[in-house]
Formats: sequence, C-alpha cells, structure tokens
Amino acid sequence: MKLRRAAAWFCLCALGSRAAPGQAVLTGLVALPKSHAAPVANKRYEIVSKSGVLAPDPPIAVVYLDGDFPPAARAAVARMAQKDLAFVPSLLPVRTGTRVEFPNLDDTYHNIFSFSPAKRFDLGRYRSDERPVPSEVFDRPGLVTLRCDIHEHMRALILVLDTPYFVLSDPAGRYRLPGLPAGHYTLRVWLSSRTTLARPVDLAAGAAREENFP
Amino acid sequence: MSGGPEPRPAEVRGFRGRLLVAMMLVVCLVALGFYLAQRRVAADGRRDFERQFQEEAAALRGVEEVRDAMLAERCRALARRPRLHAALEDDALDLLYPSARDEMADMMGGEDEPGREAAPYALHARFYRFLDGRGAVIPPPDPAAVGALEPADQARLALSALAESPQLGELVRAGPGPGEAVDEIIAMPIVSSETGGIIAAIVVGFRPIDLGAAVGGAGIQSGLWVGGRLVMPALGPAERGRLAAALAAELAQPRAPGRSLEVAIGGAPQLLFYRRLNAGSAYPPAYEVGVYPLAGLLARQRQLEWQFGGIACLLLAGALGASHLLSSRLSVPVERLAADSAENRVQRQRAEAALDSTSRDLQRSARFSADASHQLKTPVTVLRAGLEELLAAENFTPEVREELGALVHQTFRLTSVIEDLLLLSRMDAGRVQLAFAPVNLRRLIEGWLDDLGALPDELGLEVETELPPALHISGEQRYTTLIVQNLLENARKYNRPGGRIRIAAREEPGAVVLAIGNTGRPIAPEAQEHIFERFHRAAAGENVPGHGLGLNLASELARLHGGALRLARSGEDWTEFEVRFRPAGERT
Repeated sequence: MKLRRAAAWFCLCALGSRAAPGQAVLTGLVALPKSHAAPVANKRYEIVSKSGVLAPDPPIAVVYLDGDFPPAARAAVARMAQKDLAFVPSLLPVRTGTRVEFPNLDDTYHNIFSFSPAKRFDLGRYRSDERPVPSEVFDRPGLVTLRCDIHEHMRALILVLDTPYFVLSDPAGRYRLPGLPAGHYTLRVWLSSRTTLARPVDLAAGAAREENFP
Repeated sequence: MSGGPEPRPAEVRGFRGRLLVAMMLVVCLVALGFYLAQRRVAADGRRDFERQFQEEAAALRGVEEVRDAMLAERCRALARRPRLHAALEDDALDLLYPSARDEMADMMGGEDEPGREAAPYALHARFYRFLDGRGAVIPPPDPAAVGALEPADQARLALSALAESPQLGELVRAGPGPGEAVDEIIAMPIVSSETGGIIAAIVVGFRPIDLGAAVGGAGIQSGLWVGGRLVMPALGPAERGRLAAALAAELAQPRAPGRSLEVAIGGAPQLLFYRRLNAGSAYPPAYEVGVYPLAGLLARQRQLEWQFGGIACLLLAGALGASHLLSSRLSVPVERLAADSAENRVQRQRAEAALDSTSRDLQRSARFSADASHQLKTPVTVLRAGLEELLAAENFTPEVREELGALVHQTFRLTSVIEDLLLLSRMDAGRVQLAFAPVNLRRLIEGWLDDLGALPDELGLEVETELPPALHISGEQRYTTLIVQNLLENARKYNRPGGRIRIAAREEPGAVVLAIGNTGRPIAPEAQEHIFERFHRAAAGENVPGHGLGLNLASELARLHGGALRLARSGEDWTEFEVRFRPAGERT
C-alpha cells in the first residue's frame, strides 16, 4: 500500500516536473549484461553474487544524474518488503536521508541486517505484526547489501544515491529520466556492485536528450 | 668254531660315538627349534607393540573423525550464516568474528571451565581464526574471545591457498607452562552456499586428543613430530633432539617410509612407531610418534633365552646321559659278544693246545706202544724158540715137559697180545689203511666153524647159523677176519656148558648186519658201557682166556671198515653183538 503510494507520489513528482517549463528529459537504452539465469516464466528480480559481485538478475540498471543538488526539503520514505521469503523489490535506489521501511509480509520471522559500510544495521527478528514497521534511515550514499539472518538466500540491495534524479530501467534497458534541471552533470548507470558507467551530460533547459549506454 | 667276525673294541667305540652324535644332533635340532620359537616370540612382541600403536592410532582416528565431522558440519553451518557472508562479502571483516561468536560459542565454551579440562578428550576448540580467500589470517578484533595466540603462532595458521578439503596440522607453541603446547588445527573451507566457491576458511585449534591412561602401558611414550621438532614431554631436550633428528633422517628417505625404527633413549633400546597425521595437508607434515621400550621385551627375550637355554642344556644333558645310557645298553650285547668271543677264543686256544698236546701224547704213546710191541715181540719169539728147543730135548721129566708146554702156550698168548697192541697202536696213530676189497663173509665164518670143529669141544656147544648164500662185504680180509674171529671167540669163551651160539647175517639197504649171539652169563649193566674199552674184561673169570683187547680191537676195526660194532643185548642167558659192514661194491 505504502509502496503504491510512494510510487504514485514519485510519478506525480515526475509528471509535475515534466510539466514545469525548462526541465530536461533524458531517455536512452542501456545495454544490460546477459542474464545469469535462464529466463523463467515468473520473473523475479533477485540479487545474485558472482565472484563477489552483486547484481540484479535478471539484469536491470539504475540510471541517475550525479550532481550538486540541494538537500531534500523533507525526508522521503521508501519500502522494501519481505514477501515469499524474498525482498520486494530486490534493488531499491533511494536518495540519501530516505527512511526505508521493511515490512514483513510473510508468516515467518525475518531478521534484516546489513554489514555494508554505507549502512550497518540489524533490525533483529520480527514478524508481520511488528509495529511500527521496522525502518532505517539511509543517510550515507553507497551500496547497502541487505540480508536476512534467518534465510540465507534472501538478499537485496539498496543503492543510496546523493541525488533526487534516478530511475530503474525496464528489463530491456530502456529508461526515462524526466524533470531534470539544466546544468552540467554526470549521468551514471549502475549495473552491479562493481560496474557503474558514467558519462558527463550538459542539459539545456527543456532539452530532451537520448543517452544510450554504452 | 666262532661264527662271524669278532667286534673289535674300536668298532664298539665307533658305534657308541655314532650313536652319541645322532643323539646330540637330535638335541641340537630341538635347541634350534627352541631358538626359532624364541625368535618368533620376539617378533610377536614387536608385532604386539605395533598393533597397540595402530590400535591407539585407530582409536584416535575414530575420535578425530567424529571431531572432524562435527567441525565440518559446523563449518557448513557457518558457511550458511548470512552474517558471515555479509562480513566476508560486504567488506565488514571487523564483524566477522562477532558474527561467528554465537556460532562458535558452544565450541569454544568450556575451555576455561576447570571441569572440562579434566575430560579425556574434548571436542571443544581452544581457538579459531578465519582465513580470507587468499589464505591469510584475518586478525580478530578481540583475540581473547577467540583464543589468544602469539602473533607468530597465529601467522603459522595461514595457508598458501585455500583447499576444498579440510587441512590438518599440528601447531606446536610455547605453552602456558614450562613445556610446549600442541594444538591440532583443522582448516575447514567455508563454501559459499550461493556460488559454491570457497570464500574463506576457518582454522580451529583443538587440544590434542589424549586417550590418557586408557591405552598405553609402563614406559610407553607418545609424542608428536612436527616439522623437525619432537614434542615428547617425558624426554630431555638432548634426547628429544636426537630422536627428532633420527626420525627426520628416516622420513627424509626417498623410499616410502616404514612404520618403525629402532632408537636408543638413554642407552635403552626403544622401538619407535610413527604415523603421518596429516597426509596431503598443506600444513607442515606431522607425525604421531609412539616410543615403546624394548628393554622389557629384550629382558623377556633374554629371560626366555635363559629359560630356553636352560631347558636346552638340561635336555642336552639329559639326552647326553640318555644317549650314553642307551648307547651303552645297546652296545652291551655287542660288548658281551666281544667278551664272550674273547673268552671263547681263549678256551678254544686252550682246547686246541690241549688237543695238540693230547695228539702229541697220543702220537707219542702210539709210537711208544708200537716200539714197545716191536721190542717185546723179538724177546718173546726168542723165548718161545728156546722153550720149544727145551721141549724138544729128551732129558726132561713129563712134569717139566708139561710146564714147558704151558710156558710155550703163554708165549703165544704174549705174542697175540703184542700183535693186538701193535695193531691198535698203529690204528691210534692212523697208520692203518684198509685196502678195501670184497670179502666173502660166509666163507670166513664157515672157515672159523671148521677150525672150531677141530678144537676139543669141552662145553658141548651148539652152533646155529643163518646166513644168506652170498654175503660179500667191503673190507680187507685180514682185519675183517680179526673182527669176526674176536666176536666168535668171545661167543665161545663166555658160553656155558651145553650152550648155544647163533650166527645170523642179514642184508639191509646199505649195510650187512652180522649178529653173533651166545648163551651164558650176561654182561652186568654197569659194565656194558665199558666193554669196548681197552684191557677191560668185564666180569669174566680169570679162567677165561683173553687179554681184554679183543672187543676194543674189533670195535676199532669195524669203525675202520666204515661200520660199527655194538652190543645188541645182554641178559637172561643171552648176549648178542651186532656188527655192521658196508656191502661189497660200495666205496668209502
């Protein structure tokens, strides 16, 4: 519910910014790495580790605009639920300072924790009836690997970004980043814990550019 | 006379010697058997030691396997721990040990409890360290929580590379006390449950499994040889160093090392068994060492040697005695035979000597009687001639003439005796050789009967003859006549008045038997065996003429004829002699 609300809010924001004059739009196609696993009918994003590299599978990219932006007026709230012994979503980009809630939608205990330098926390064991919903504020940019201490296979990534302009590509690698202020930035594409592509972009007011990777 | 060769004393000695040698050989073989048995006992002792060592090793292995299995399971569990993965993968090594603390708590727990210390062996770890993906030791933030180690000791836990299989090793380090502490270390890989790759390893140090007094015995020392160092608290440093060097030299052999070697500790021989504890491990090779004192075994061996030696000696002595006894007993009959034969020889020689002398005496006497006869015959002839001359003279009275006639008759008797003696002596000397020819016995008897008829018949004897028409025997007429005449003369002489003489001859196969019987007083039984002796005249009265040589002569002559003369019977007014001749035509 919250997720949906957040998404709606996000969309509204995006639409509103697009509606505003002088705002640039970036679109493009990211060449995603090949999927690790064979395609299955019920696609579910999950984080896999190969040779110590964490990447979503099937591949998906986070495209964001890196620059010097004023801090957020108020703290955003995001959600990462645990459903069917998996994190949903498994890859969550958030802006620095975002509070992420971790509702347990399963009938079993979960114990979310992270040893990542960007954010170390341990929510302890809790069930779906835990109130308030356990949450953490991610105030440092970086990649945070989330695990469940009870279910070893569960893993998720929270990409804490110091920018309000970021978007997840679709499975094909297409993205659309609207409502961008004009200026000189770096456009980055996060593909895995090891691979982040970067490209400087100059955005003119109201411009609509296409940036494909690579 | 004596049968077979005589056993000489040398042969007897040789026989006894051979017997002795054979017995000694048997005893020696028995002794050899004892020796071999003793050798086998020694070998068995060593095998027992080795078996003991192997059994201990097997017991240890059993415990180790349980422990290793537990540890492996624990490592798998650890590898499944998301926190551990998080710490390793999310660059949070500082959280590695805290993350594993809960998991390792029960393994580490109890190390400080005094009760656990006394346990015979423990599955509780003394320390643990993580190795990163390259095999380097990840230093713990709080070493006391994971088992304190000197930095140098900790560094020795590192591996050049992580292996998929558990790596065993032995860590020898300065202990809390004066001696050295030994830890058995096991490096277990932590395999990512996600990728299957080895992301790290955990090295756990255990107290060495000490079966304590459960196994082993007096003087048996067990220890550990790791990378040239020998850990054997019971030994002094010098001995330990020497032993370690010996073992190192043994292990340095290019060939597959054996399982034992003989060493000396303080001059006492020991049997050292060793066993690789961590075959194929990346850690330095470690050997379990068991030192078993051979002194006891050797002492037992020596004792056995003495016992066996004593028994063998006793046996040898006994066998020697027995063989001596046996050989002497065996050789007794031989010796007796030898002694007997010696005695026999002496007796025979004596007898031969006696015979020789008798023969010589006989010869001498025969010659003497022959000489005497000759010397006597001449004077008798001269005497008779003189008497006959006197008798021929006319100037004697009839009484003198009768006396002279009696004297002449006596000279005839004397001549007869002398002739008989002469013949006998010739026969005794073996000088009488018969010229065998057929002799008509019937005619010979008839001739005598004619002569008898010519004699004045004082007794009125009746003569019966029962003779076959032809009766030829093999003999010499002269001597045959003498036999027959003597017998017939006796039959006439010893008859009674109105008596009877019976002359019968019969032919038997290979013999002609002439029986001459006469009535008259029989020969006394006690005298019968003597009647053929020289100068024996039975109980004949002095009025019976004769000189006691007749039967003897007849008997001797019959023997010369190849026959025999015997007294057939004598009793109840009948005495009968029987003489056997060989029939004519038969040669000797």
